Amino acid sequence: MSSDRPDILPQGGADDALAAEYALGLLSEAEARDFEERLVHEPALRAIYARWAEHFAAMTDPIAPVEPPARLRARVMRQVAPRHGGAGLRRLLGWLAGAAAGAVLGAAVLLLVGPVGDLPGLRADIAAPDGALVIGASYAPASGRLTVTRQSGQAAPGRALELWMIAGDAAPVSLGVLPDADSLRLDVPAALREALAPGAVLAVSDEPPGGSPTGQPTGAVLATGVITES
Amino acid sequence: MTDRATIEAWLARIAIGDRQAFVALYDATSAKLFGVLLRILNDRDTAEDALQDVYLKIWHNAHRYRVNGFSPMTWLITVARNHAIDRLRRQRGSGGGAVPDAVDAVADPAPGPEARAIAAGEAARLAACFDELDQTHADAVRRAYLEGETYAELAERFDVPLNTMRTRLRRSLLKLKECLTR
Repeated sequence: MSSDRPDILPQGGADDALAAEYALGLLSEAEARDFEERLVHEPALRAIYARWAEHFAAMTDPIAPVEPPARLRARVMRQVAPRHGGAGLRRLLGWLAGAAAGAVLGAAVLLLVGPVGDLPGLRADIAAPDGALVIGASYAPASGRLTVTRQSGQAAPGRALELWMIAGDAAPVSLGVLPDADSLRLDVPAALREALAPGAVLAVSDEPPGGSPTGQPTGAVLATGVITES
Repeated sequence: MTDRATIEAWLARIAIGDRQAFVALYDATSAKLFGVLLRILNDRDTAEDALQDVYLKIWHNAHRYRVNGFSPMTWLITVARNHAIDRLRRQRGSGGGAVPDAVDAVADPAPGPEARAIAAGEAARLAACFDELDQTHADAVRRAYLEGETYAELAERFDVPLNTMRTRLRRSLLKLKECLTR
């Protein structure tokens, strides 16, 4: 053994060791804070850390699953009852930021354009990096008229595009399946009009022909847009 | 076992507040996470409480999961493990170790072929590489991960000064990395 000094490590190994110690929970509070600060700015360090997380998680592979009691499931589900406020939107925006980095939305853009005709209207625009699918939409609260215009792209062969509204933390509500035609005007049901407001989200998912059989999105969420005032 | 793409799709929908996706995720993954929590916490009541906390964390932080080629199960397991370790240490009153901010456990680099290769056969490879380590150090890594032992606790267990414990373990971690990427 050459030395017991912690600063003497093979060249380039310091961050590997540090990331492993962080993942194991061996760093002091101050060291962990410094490391987390670096994680924010250093993609290479994040990659090292993610790899260790993956390696170490393998230690749980031999652990057999144990079915938790049913009453626990009920307790958990009660705790995630829909809440009001912007939490859902914040989560969505956070997820979109991550999705953009991960290119998961890659294939689609939902662009909500300004109102056609009757003012005042609602709009928003959100773009994913790849414009393979571009759908424009606008909404006039006064008339309850939603106009959706597909500017490019289409459903995958044998699949359909379904439009959803998500208000707050409530489950998505279907607004209908998009037709093959380039544009669609639909009258939003009176019960949904109040929820279709700034901050609510429109999303398009990939579904079987005729739309989701379950009343909730079953396929990938291809595109989302946050509604704002135009 | 539910496949990666399905779990990632659920997490994406949970991120926009979809409770049905959350129910599906719970039904597919709660037995694994409960097994892990029982193993670490070694007490059924505590593990049940912990499971509830862990799924609430997942509900509130699904947007922080990054689709990156690393297994979404790793993210879920890491959230559960870190939460359990945090509880254990508070019970024991052990200081001197910071539990990672669980929900950012697996960050966002784009997957290369190397990352994908790592995900396959991980447990067998890790075990083989542990075999190449000084057994005391392999034991220390396992104890840190699965028991939440800190450097101070490991040093006491193996009856060496804390700095010596740290230096040796860091060397072993680098050996482990060298073996895992060989």
